[in-house]
Amino acid sequence: MQQRVSILDGNTFLVCDRSGDVEPSFDFPTGMFSFDTRFLSTWLLTLDGERLHALSVDDAHSYQTRFFLVPGEPTHYLDAKVSIIRSRSIGGTFTEDLTVLNHSGREMRFQLRLEMGSDFADLFEIKHQRPKKGRTSAQAGENELRLTYRREAFHREAMITSSADAHVDQNGMTWSITVAAHSEWSTCVTATPIIHGARGEDVRAITALGAARGPAVIRDEQEDLVGRAPQLGCDCEPLAGAYRQSLHDLAALRYESITLGVRLLAAGLPWFMTLFGRDSMLTSLQVLPFLPELVPPTILMLAGLQGYRLDDFRDEEPGKILHELRYGETAGFEEQPHSPYYGAADSTPLFVILLDEYERWTGDAALVKQLELPVRAALHWIDTYGDLLGTGYVWYRSRNPETGLENQCWKDSWDAISYADGRLPGFPRATCEIQGYAYDAKRRGARMARLFWNDPEYADRLEREAAALKERFNRDFWIPEKNYYALALDPDGRHVDSLTSNIGHLLWSGIVDESRAALVAEHLLGPRLFSGWGVRTLATDEGRYNPIGYHVGTVWPFDNAFIAWGLSRYGFREEAGRICESMISASRYFDGRLPEAFAGFERHLTDYPVQYPTACSPQAWSAGTPLLLLRVMLGLEPQGEHLIIDPLVPEGMGRVELLDIPGRWGRVDALGRSRTPHDHEHHH
Amino acid sequence: MSQATEEFFASLPARAPAILRAPVTGTLQIDLTTDHRTDHWLVRLSPGRAVVDRARGPADAVWSSSADLFERLAIGTAQSISAVLRNESTFSGNVMLFLVFRQFFPTPPGVRDPRETAREQTGRA
Repeated sequence: MQQRVSILDGNTFLVCDRSGDVEPSFDFPTGMFSFDTRFLSTWLLTLDGERLHALSVDDAHSYQTRFFLVPGEPTHYLDAKVSIIRSRSIGGTFTEDLTVLNHSGREMRFQLRLEMGSDFADLFEIKHQRPKKGRTSAQAGENELRLTYRREAFHREAMITSSADAHVDQNGMTWSITVAAHSEWSTCVTATPIIHGARGEDVRAITALGAARGPAVIRDEQEDLVGRAPQLGCDCEPLAGAYRQSLHDLAALRYESITLGVRLLAAGLPWFMTLFGRDSMLTSLQVLPFLPELVPPTILMLAGLQGYRLDDFRDEEPGKILHELRYGETAGFEEQPHSPYYGAADSTPLFVILLDEYERWTGDAALVKQLELPVRAALHWIDTYGDLLGTGYVWYRSRNPETGLENQCWKDSWDAISYADGRLPGFPRATCEIQGYAYDAKRRGARMARLFWNDPEYADRLEREAAALKERFNRDFWIPEKNYYALALDPDGRHVDSLTSNIGHLLWSGIVDESRAALVAEHLLGPRLFSGWGVRTLATDEGRYNPIGYHVGTVWPFDNAFIAWGLSRYGFREEAGRICESMISASRYFDGRLPEAFAGFERHLTDYPVQYPTACSPQAWSAGTPLLLLRVMLGLEPQGEHLIIDPLVPEGMGRVELLDIPGRWGRVDALGRSRTPHDHEHHH
Repeated sequence: MSQATEEFFASLPARAPAILRAPVTGTLQIDLTTDHRTDHWLVRLSPGRAVVDRARGPADAVWSSSADLFERLAIGTAQSISAVLRNESTFSGNVMLFLVFRQFFPTPPGVRDPRETAREQTGRA
């Protein structure tokens, strides 16, 4: 696979090749995107008709890249008389400084050419290519090229300018330049994506969203966010590196919502640069102990867009929390259901869980009071529309067969939910982890009702319902002959009997009977699920197991972080530590940036974690993973007005020190140190 | 002005207690355009209460739409957020007012309760 370089700021991003070029692509989102529309699909630099080759690429910052280029192929560049520096940044506007350096002792003349074009593809048209329904046009002006797309009132434009005089045609710009001996020439090219709204004005200008920001402002914002997070001091360099990288990636993934004017977290580059209910809430849970201020905008946005009516196309029901919100053409013209789409059965209980956990850390009672009705509506959904079959469980079945999602849990690919023999169950399906979330949501809803809504009767009812759900679940989902919980129930109430990582989420929710927790932990760390680098999504001996199958054998860092949290909750600290250690070791091979997923091969087989071919990176909940692992290793748990600190640092990791952990207690420090092998002998 | 739109606005005060449950207060101006004219509606929203006038501003948010699109929203055959995404309708000002107001738009005609369908299909009806 060709190596790609990306820069991003919020949900505006650019993906190009190693020379900084973009060529039209119909299978992978290369080019410049903003709010789910591709604004540049061609961006190709030549010197005297020749393509350029990169000597080196400096991409240390998420919003800035520098390419050092020479003409021709690698075999004959060694005595190049000319080189080119492309220095670019992104932040609302894409800016590229082109510098031509003449290394020879005489004056030289060059034709520098930048091919430019846009197909204005919606992100979903790249996955499923089809002809555009609107009209694209190009208008050449003085040092300016305007590429526009119109379909009815939908109007997008890429406005490209050059600071130096250029010959502009409909397909790009040409500079005929003369450069003196040992001298240089440069121009600044900018490309601005414009989303036209009412009266043709740029939507971002009229909705009070931030204007384009330069690299200095972006750097300051990122540094500010990173500076507000607790300081980590530790002996383990991979842990320190992963923490640093995570904070920077989380900062880069924030974007301003076109519908709310608040900063939200995008889920992952390049396919998921938008708001996902599940991703944003699980990421929020991971970052809560570190950057609690990132959480309220997400909660408020999800509450504001809570489902309120029945809509089959969008799988919407009253009280349901959204799955995915998109801003592009296919969402607007209802060719895709993301306006927003509600096809997730877990986002609604997760909404209740997140708000409660947020209050436990921050003491922000005002937000819990403000959101009483949306939370009640969410809890009501669990028992009404969520319980499709009236059996006391949350089920899912899409009413949109063309563009809806078959699987409405985190493992949402079509083949993710299977029996051990590989068959796929019918619909509706009730996956186990969603029942765990529903249980936790009821317990947490009860806490909020009692403490903040002055409704002890409702609290009692929710607690009774939670207890009954736990009992029912432990009866109906447990497979006695296999000693673990079924992945799901099929429409006839029978076990979908594969062994999966989903049972780890059950520990996190607390729905597992104490007597069975050890068996669950044993399976999670056993050879069928645990690869040495982490817990696989599906056990190796199941029918559909594939070490590079998206949800059927790969290892997902975020999944492992929640499993570690769950193990820790049931007292399996050593087992949780093994998962923390494996994830942190794996992160070393990705320069501290854990990807969305990696292959499920045995650790001793490959010696390094094998990258999943199309994994998104950076990915918000992977970036959140090292943060949650730190919480688990240091045993951080709010209790009343205090933070409990109960560290158990895995062997060999040495000192782990987290300073200024924010919360209702002000700021406190946590210090942990692993026992040495010698201590180990001593204590046992 | 179509009858469906007139009836829709007339129904708001009575429906407000059940629908306006969020702690959001403010005035939304709605501009409905046909080829020849623009009709203005002013809706003052607060928890449990909606007051409707045929007038224009001052308002905390303005929402513009063709009269035709609004009628389809008022009977449930169109959806408000996709209409904004394709720029068929536009808004400016406090977005929360729009998110709250959209809850007055009804479910599409003929939609069945998904529980009935699922239970029928699995023989549990």
